[in-house]
Amino acid sequence: MESFSFWFFGTCTLLGSALVAFCPRLVHSAFALVMALIGVAGLYWTLGADFLGGVQLMVYVGGITILFIYGIMLTPKGATKPTLASLLFPGVITVIPVAVMLHLAWKGLESVFQPGDLTVAPQPTVDAIGRAFLTRDQYLIPFELASLVLLAALVGSIYLARRKKES
Amino acid sequence: MESLAGYVFLGTAMFVLGVFTMVTRKNAIYVLMGAELILNAAALNFVAFARHLGNRLDGQMFAIFIVILAAAEAAVALGIVLQIHHHYPSIDVSKPDRLGD
Repeated sequence: MESFSFWFFGTCTLLGSALVAFCPRLVHSAFALVMALIGVAGLYWTLGADFLGGVQLMVYVGGITILFIYGIMLTPKGATKPTLASLLFPGVITVIPVAVMLHLAWKGLESVFQPGDLTVAPQPTVDAIGRAFLTRDQYLIPFELASLVLLAALVGSIYLARRKKES
Repeated sequence: MESLAGYVFLGTAMFVLGVFTMVTRKNAIYVLMGAELILNAAALNFVAFARHLGNRLDGQMFAIFIVILAAAEAAVALGIVLQIHHHYPSIDVSKPDRLGD
């Protein structure tokens, strides 16, 4: 069962990411991004991170994607065809991680990353995460700082996106 | 394959596709979508390693903070994209070359 959900959501994620990278139309890429993000949420659930999967669905799929679609609708579409010369630099960048990955696969990933103890079934994490957020010697200060960052981003984005008055 | 290796492979693939999107596309919205893919790949690695190396919560906490910062980043970046649109005819990221009016 877990193996099936890994393959299903993994395929979903890979396919969505590939469509984002290669789809010629911006709107199609945005919806492919939704697919990839839902796949990642499913992978979180497969890994036993139930709260994080919910956060991923609500914030990414429900929030950030809507922002992107608004951004697409508010801006002119500028489709640029990639030329062969412009693909050279990205090709070089892409080759490096792929080569590292193939090297690791060749050596056998299990010899590099010790296989973990998966016999312990994942527990529900909501209670533990809530306590970790509100305990001072765990994540209380990062939690409060994150709310400050969100407030600053809210005010800043309103300031940036507003239409300037004609003077 | 439903092991750490599978998740690391998925994370690498997502990261590579995100970088590829960021460097090939000129449209600013595409660049942002590539950044989201990269952030998700990093968060997926955090969670997978936390699960496989001792079933800990720390990786999930880091992933939650990544989601929070990605939301802030997307909001501010789209505000900047809208301002670029007001000052330039397109949102091609190679076109803007001045900060003020």
